[in-house]
Amino acid sequence: MEDPWQDAMDHAVALARKAGTLVRDAVQNDMKVMLKSTSVDLVTQTDQKVEKLIIESVAKKFPTHCFIGEESVAAGEACVLTDSPTWIIDPVDGTTNFVHGYPFVAVCIGFAVNKQLEFGVVYSCIEDKMYTGRKGKGAFCNGEALQVSDQRDITQSIVASEFGSTRDPEVMDKVFSTMRKVLCLPVHGLRGAGSAAINMCHVAAGSVEAYYETGIHCWDFAASAVIVSEAGGVLMDVEGGPMDLMSRRVVAANCQVIAERIVKEIDAFQPTRDDAAAQD
Amino acid sequence: MAEWTECMNFGISVAKQASQVVLDAFKKDKEVMLKSSPADLVTETDQRVEKILISAIKEKYPTHKFIGEESVAAGDRVELTKAPTWIIDPIDGTVNFVHRFPFVAISIAFAVNQQTEFGIVYSLVEDKMYCAQKGKGAFLNGVPLLTSGQEDVNQCLVVTEIGAERDDLALYTMTSNIMRLLKLPVHGVRAVGTAAVDMCLIATGGADVYYHIGMHCWDIAASAIIVQEAGGVVIDTDGSEFDMMSRKVIAASSLPVAKRIAEVVQAFPCRRDDVDPSMCICGASSC
Repeated sequence: MEDPWQDAMDHAVALARKAGTLVRDAVQNDMKVMLKSTSVDLVTQTDQKVEKLIIESVAKKFPTHCFIGEESVAAGEACVLTDSPTWIIDPVDGTTNFVHGYPFVAVCIGFAVNKQLEFGVVYSCIEDKMYTGRKGKGAFCNGEALQVSDQRDITQSIVASEFGSTRDPEVMDKVFSTMRKVLCLPVHGLRGAGSAAINMCHVAAGSVEAYYETGIHCWDFAASAVIVSEAGGVLMDVEGGPMDLMSRRVVAANCQVIAERIVKEIDAFQPTRDDAAAQD
Repeated sequence: MAEWTECMNFGISVAKQASQVVLDAFKKDKEVMLKSSPADLVTETDQRVEKILISAIKEKYPTHKFIGEESVAAGDRVELTKAPTWIIDPIDGTVNFVHRFPFVAISIAFAVNQQTEFGIVYSLVEDKMYCAQKGKGAFLNGVPLLTSGQEDVNQCLVVTEIGAERDDLALYTMTSNIMRLLKLPVHGVRAVGTAAVDMCLIATGGADVYYHIGMHCWDIAASAIIVQEAGGVVIDTDGSEFDMMSRKVIAASSLPVAKRIAEVVQAFPCRRDDVDPSMCICGASSC
């Protein structure tokens, strides 16, 4: 049976590659930096340019489709996931890395229909690694199949996470108390690439066992969630329930046992949901 | 000196040859042994690669001396004399190697009269050969490297590691250092899992400062000269002159940034690499 979304996915891969080339070129040049949210949450002209490129191209080919894009939302668009085919876009995941030339920067394109994620594309453009996942058809990096780690013992695991862009002291206390508890399990180590999408692709690739973070947005993990799942991994909320794309939180792991063990150590908190305005 | 250039080129070629052993083993399952803690790992590949490097270098330079991580683990003393000395970490990022996390480096430094003359860091999964010879600049796959030059700590991207210690004091010190830095604020904190590659990222300009407590001389001797030759500075975490045996380092884009980081970062006690391992950390012969 023909895949109704194959065409859309092929288009997403081509667009991610085109956008990624733009991003990679911009790393060599002057990048304009505007401040967003706090002095540590950055956005550049390239973020906006890339998102515009993707949305315009998709809208032309699929005029009935909807969009949730990081920069569009920042400009005032609603962040609402309906049943319509919806493209969930982070034009530059890892903007701080991008500004510095630190080599983990990804173009992320997720696609959902009837509120179910159908495919995800994450192009780690400085490394030239194209990660893809299609529901029911597996996950790949540059054409090679991805498979999560088969580790079941948390004390033999590497965990990825980030410190986030909020400097609110109460939030930071929770981030650090969680981190200390995870380290004391003990785990083999902690890694942080500076991009949620790339951290999750490392779970899919089997090189880390788990990733957790609170404070990310739906566009940061919609695409990589499909990639983790199709590589055999599991996704859940930081309090153990099912993953909720609008909740600003995720745990991605190679297996249920590791995910649940991480969840036990997390000092959970709830940032404002991505769909909060819609619920008012 | 021209003769050290020849040594460096030889070092680069043996690093490349030895990397094949690591790459062959990379995709396979490994038998893992523990060293000082449940997060301080070693494999048979670490030991094999060090033997290959040392025997190749000894054959060409029979009078030269060696400080190698696995030789020291097997009982050799760490002693940097005036003699030409190769300081070797056969696999920096052993945890990464075990997990197939693709940042693993062979690190080779060379010192004469206790001064580092050149450094080689081969990030072998990425096929990135970083090198620097004193007074001749730093290079990545032949392309010159330059640090970011950043002088404002609030615009800095910081790279560090939690390290292998899991005791309360070390963990508390390492995590509270990160919290204080984030609050300065800095742009962010990153971790790739190998001191050598972390420091080379400073040399590329892709990040602005690296600091660590608890690593060993073989982890940073090579990358320290790479950072310096790329225009960066390397000092101790207490703000004093860099001492590769002290188990503490800050490598930064500029002196103002390095000094600012030194004001914030606290160290936990570590036995120096060049001290008799039977001595207590505090320096007494027994506690």
